[in-house]
Amino acid sequence: MKIAVCVKQVPDSETRINLSGPAAALDSSSFTMIINPYDQFAVEEAVKIKEARGAGEVTAVTVGAQARVREMLKKDCLAVGCDKAVVVDDPALANADPLAVAKVLAAVLRRDQYDLVLFGIKAIDDDASQVGVMTAELLGLPHVGYIGALELGQTTLTARREVEGGVEVVTSPLPCVLTCGKGLNEPRLPSLPNIMKAGMKPVEVVDCAALGVAVPASHTAVKQYTPPPPRGACTMITADTPAEAARALARKLRDEAKVI
Amino acid sequence: MPNIAVFIEQRAGQIKTVSWQMLSAARALVDQQGGEVWGVHLHAAGCQVQDQAGQHGAHKVFTAEAPAFATYDSELWTQALAAFTREHKPDVLLIGSTAMGKDLAPRLAARLDCACVSDAVGLSWDGGLVVKRPVFAGKCFAEVTSTAPLTVVGIRPNAFAQEAVGGTAEALALTPALDAAAARARVTSEETGSAGKVSLTEAEVVVSGGRGIKGPENYVLIEQLAEAFGAAAGASRAIVDAGWVDYSHQVGQTGKTVAPNLYVACGISGAIQHLAGMSSSKCIVAINKDENAPIFKVADYGIAGDLFQIVPALTEAVKELRG
Repeated sequence: MKIAVCVKQVPDSETRINLSGPAAALDSSSFTMIINPYDQFAVEEAVKIKEARGAGEVTAVTVGAQARVREMLKKDCLAVGCDKAVVVDDPALANADPLAVAKVLAAVLRRDQYDLVLFGIKAIDDDASQVGVMTAELLGLPHVGYIGALELGQTTLTARREVEGGVEVVTSPLPCVLTCGKGLNEPRLPSLPNIMKAGMKPVEVVDCAALGVAVPASHTAVKQYTPPPPRGACTMITADTPAEAARALARKLRDEAKVI
Repeated sequence: MPNIAVFIEQRAGQIKTVSWQMLSAARALVDQQGGEVWGVHLHAAGCQVQDQAGQHGAHKVFTAEAPAFATYDSELWTQALAAFTREHKPDVLLIGSTAMGKDLAPRLAARLDCACVSDAVGLSWDGGLVVKRPVFAGKCFAEVTSTAPLTVVGIRPNAFAQEAVGGTAEALALTPALDAAAARARVTSEETGSAGKVSLTEAEVVVSGGRGIKGPENYVLIEQLAEAFGAAAGASRAIVDAGWVDYSHQVGQTGKTVAPNLYVACGISGAIQHLAGMSSSKCIVAINKDENAPIFKVADYGIAGDLFQIVPALTEAVKELRG
């Protein structure tokens, strides 16, 4: 089974964003970059499938500057069981929106033909949750999004996805695109020897021209970034007993905040 | 003069409240800019929305009724909405950022090669649509513009208030040609979770517990307070990873993002990953024994004290006030 895992490099969730007012761009010079945490569930699932079948190949695919993504590919993909990687490095994609990124990924995936394509459910930087499903549509493939459990057969799969107030059980023929969430598996950590060996695995670097596609235009653009509205100071409620404090809080929620 | 279409979502014949919130948001925009608000509703027999859609600001309601619309299917829903947008050419299509909407909007946008913006919390018009949405887990907001003739916008539940304007909507029928053979990923069964419980992402009030509850046996305190509020019960990542509560309750990064009117954090210190999932809640209450816990920095009201005494007392107080 040929499996592709599409991953994205994102700023660490501890990253501070210091905006004093509206800004056309964010200063990313101090950002520590990591693999998108949801993509780790996708990587782990792909590797687990390969191991369970005792055969197959897992390719990690990403869009980004190769100098920046190489370490992520090595440590978080190749060292935990991916066999090779493809990087689409094209400066023209610097501000690509999700659909433009999906078009580029679809070009890679169409070229190499996979049985299964895995994504994380969303990336923690732009939180768009679009690229996986868009890529499925562009490839003419079915998808199952936000999966928390997967049973894979030879030609079909059954996945469970959480919806409001319950779970949907979805079956699909292969090839299929899945977006992976927490609960699916526990991503493994790379071992030192495996990180060393990962340096030997092939990483292909391409641009749009090499893929034979025009640089896709983005339909959306960020006009500006703004800081979140300031929150007022916290009103600390004190009273002689916990019961009195609780009653005082409940009254404030009803009379001031008007949420009861 | 933008015409704004709103996808009126039903699941098992129940209309999602975000649908009414979106109609109100759309109506506020067209009242300034001109244009019309159109509801679009796909349903199996017996789910009527015309009156309520009119009440909430729709000028027209397009309805497609087919047995296939009893259970969600990304392909068939995409076909129906693609046919609608090609025929009627709205400038904007609002879809709730629900489990269904997040599945549907990207597939539709890719099929139509149009603009797509997720999880909006603000809409304005400045020569064209400007969508405001949180990015970097709410640490800042992005204002997104579109250059496409159609922009599909996902709307975060509870980001907009639902307002009845008391109008009536003209009813129009849609009869999209559906190619069922193209639907390959099919929902084969649905399992309803804890019946009657409020869904976390749609709840108007969320009560969450963290490591401060000390053990799984005490999560019942959180559930009791949630019940008193008519709220959904949430949890921090720490107690989900510890196996005290199911992952479906997790709020924060790698869990759910919620924006209720009231969020009550009990025994949660307020790690940045947790704040990522709840910091845009309208009113935040923190109950924690450590008065220096970071959760108090985002809270509107706080009690520094023992949650084992305060939470049950608050449960009683809320029950009294809500009658």
